[in-house]
Amino acid sequence: MANENFEPKITCFVCNWCTYTGADLAGTSRLKQQPNARLIRVPCTGRIDPVFLIKAFETGADGVLVSGCHPADCHYNTGNYHARRRWIFFRELLNTVGIPESRVHFSWVSASEGKKWVDVVNGVIDKVRQEGPFEGYKKINNEFALPEEVEV
Amino acid sequence: MEALQKIAKEALASKEAAFIIGYARVPGSQKTRPFIARDEAEAGQLVFDEYCQNNLAVYLTRIARPKEGKMGIVAKSCDVRAIVALLQENQIKRNEVYIIGVNCSGVVEDPAQPLSKENLAGKCNMCQAPQPAGTDTVVGEAKPYERADDKVGKLLAQLDSLSPQERFAFWEAEFEKCVKCYACRQACPLCYCEQCIADKSQPRWIESSASVRGNFAWNMIRAFHLAGRCIGCGECSRACPADIPLMLLNRKMGMIAMKEFNYRHGSNMDDPTLVGSYNNSDRNDFIM
Amino acid sequence: MNYYITTDEKLRELVRTLAEQKWNIISADKQGTRFMYINDGKDLTVDAKARPTKVSAKQFVFPKSEPLFFFKKEHDDLKLIDPQAVQQKTVLFGAKPCDAAGLPIMEKLFNWDYKDEFFNKRVENTVVIGMACDYTDEYCFCTSVGLAPDSEKGSDVFLVPGADNHYVVKEVTPKGAAFIAEFKAIFSEAAQGDIKAVSRTQPAPEKKFNVDEVKNWLDGHFESEYWSKAGETCLGCAQCAFVCPVCHCFDIVDENCAADCGRRVKNWDACQFGLFTKHASGHNPRETQPDRYRQRVSHKFKYYQDKFGETLCTGCGRCSRNCAVGIDIAEIVANIPM
Ligand code: SF4
Ligand code: SF4
Ligand code: SF4
Ligand code: SF4
Ligand code: FES
Repeated sequence: MANENFEPKITCFVCNWCTYTGADLAGTSRLKQQPNARLIRVPCTGRIDPVFLIKAFETGADGVLVSGCHPADCHYNTGNYHARRRWIFFRELLNTVGIPESRVHFSWVSASEGKKWVDVVNGVIDKVRQEGPFEGYKKINNEFALPEEVEV
Repeated sequence: MEALQKIAKEALASKEAAFIIGYARVPGSQKTRPFIARDEAEAGQLVFDEYCQNNLAVYLTRIARPKEGKMGIVAKSCDVRAIVALLQENQIKRNEVYIIGVNCSGVVEDPAQPLSKENLAGKCNMCQAPQPAGTDTVVGEAKPYERADDKVGKLLAQLDSLSPQERFAFWEAEFEKCVKCYACRQACPLCYCEQCIADKSQPRWIESSASVRGNFAWNMIRAFHLAGRCIGCGECSRACPADIPLMLLNRKMGMIAMKEFNYRHGSNMDDPTLVGSYNNSDRNDFIM
Repeated sequence: MNYYITTDEKLRELVRTLAEQKWNIISADKQGTRFMYINDGKDLTVDAKARPTKVSAKQFVFPKSEPLFFFKKEHDDLKLIDPQAVQQKTVLFGAKPCDAAGLPIMEKLFNWDYKDEFFNKRVENTVVIGMACDYTDEYCFCTSVGLAPDSEKGSDVFLVPGADNHYVVKEVTPKGAAFIAEFKAIFSEAAQGDIKAVSRTQPAPEKKFNVDEVKNWLDGHFESEYWSKAGETCLGCAQCAFVCPVCHCFDIVDENCAADCGRRVKNWDACQFGLFTKHASGHNPRETQPDRYRQRVSHKFKYYQDKFGETLCTGCGRCSRNCAVGIDIAEIVANIPM
């Protein structure tokens, strides 16, 4: 279902201490990355409620990336361990309702891994571009589209 | 029946229990329903048989706690699992409940029909031990019963074999039916939050509209909040007026708990909860 | 009143014609869960012997979620946008008396002070093809609230099953007459008695209580001890209100559509929810579940009587049939210590 002209929208949830800083480093190092990702900075992966991912799809994301500090590096010691356990369940749940792995990605990117960040983001964007627009969610989002405008 | 009533009467008389949450017969029918016995006469109405489908543990977090005495409860082994789960999650203390275990020979799926292989509740199919453990007392006798087809498991396998698009379409059709009555939540012994995320309005994470999108969000989050916690009693799907196969999602989460962590919630009151804990060696292969 | 005859096959043909003409067509589903839109004659379910669907048909006149308007931020201004006008012609097939009667009962509420144009438009656009019922179980009690298995209240056209898959068709309202006239090929004229209606195979539901006596008792027993036991095991789900053909409480909320726009929606709500009456201060005048259950019974059998002279219940038994903890509203009303 490769779709060359399609530009996916990727929502990224990144922890403040590692991945966000890593993404910042990528910027200051002038590494090039595709412009399809929107970053949302959260204190820690432990703060990422799975409902955030659902909101991302509700607001039009074609794919989601969740990223934080490597195991043992979490600023709050265990936030990412707790998060990982939740993801093990949540990604299976999403898969069961028809939101496949190809749209939901996870990574550990540290503050010094500017290059890894660029590779991860580019990889996710390419993958989702190949997957095509998330038609399923777009359809159910449609109920919320403004009707043909008739002014009051 | 007499043994159960006798124990209940004694527990009330000795003030061991302030009330007994049990089952009573619906007048003029073989069906039963939850009943709270507060005195000797009422204890005389308590029954237990294959028509006792309800998971009564749901009342432990919904009913006002007595000032004196314990909450008495009649519990089959699957209900005991819910009670143990509540103990694990610190919602009740062991010395706050007086558990009258009842040996169980399976309960019906459709209470208008007698118990049979075809009319066996889905949860009984999955039951590992019809004899309750760790209760204050046990009554009755557990007779072996014939297991039926595992309908939920079959349907889940079918669903897993579809493409993601087809799965999404399947759930779109199912969730379209949801009316957002939250019966699934209210009937669940493990949905006890004082304020459910579905009721929070600032910000409103889960749309209160019964739109397909709002229903997706609700049903996914409900299943996720029960991940590693659901004890498989099936009350949610029994309560659902829209006949949405909620057990598919619950079962899937239970399977992951088993496969990844070899864990069954409500098995041991000293176990830490699954999603409340972690291990350094948890699976990492899906993370880049 | 004019009588006609039709058959199952003809009704399916009618569905095909209506579908071609882009009508909204509503029928019960095959599993008996709810009513839904259909587009094909083979999906039509008109079955006098069926149990009432678990969820009533009310959502087609009072949707579970209905956008009232949309809003969009434009510079410093807020622009309001009307939702798509309700104009689709609709036909509801096979409503049982306990479903059809719900419409005129709810109509009172939606036209009492403010006239709810959404509800009214939908009712106006809908032709209700009611059907005599041949089902009774321990939860049915239409006969206790002034209805019967052959009540035509709320129907525009009424079907009575006859021999050999035939139906005796009665036109009940001018709207029904116009509908029959529009689809002449489906309904052949007949004189009353041409086709014998088959008699019910089920006994009519027994009369379980007298609504006037109940109302009298409710007038003076708000604080009765009876309530503490009556609602004690209620879980406070709102399944009972949501499946009910006449429960009509709603909540109005604003929702985001996108970053700069949103919509105001009218959603079903119910008195069995603890949040229903909770004040911003945290105080809740209906603190416990028995308080809320008393409200459910009182609204149906007293307040609605006081205000509109009708009982807010059609005796369909849905709430009780579906209740996970076996609370039976008819039993609770019948057991009132009068
Ligand atoms: S989610 Fe459903 S099956 Fe699981 S514990 Fe709750 S009510 Fe029982
Ligand atoms: S019980 Fe069924 S209809 Fe009600 S909120 Fe849950 S899933 Fe939706
Ligand atoms: S009466 Fe039954 S269906 Fe109604 S709120 Fe209580 S538990 Fe739910
Ligand atoms: S209160 Fe119950 S029996 Fe009466 S109309 Fe509503 S659902 Fe039917
Ligand atoms: S602070 Fe980065 S994962 Fe916890």
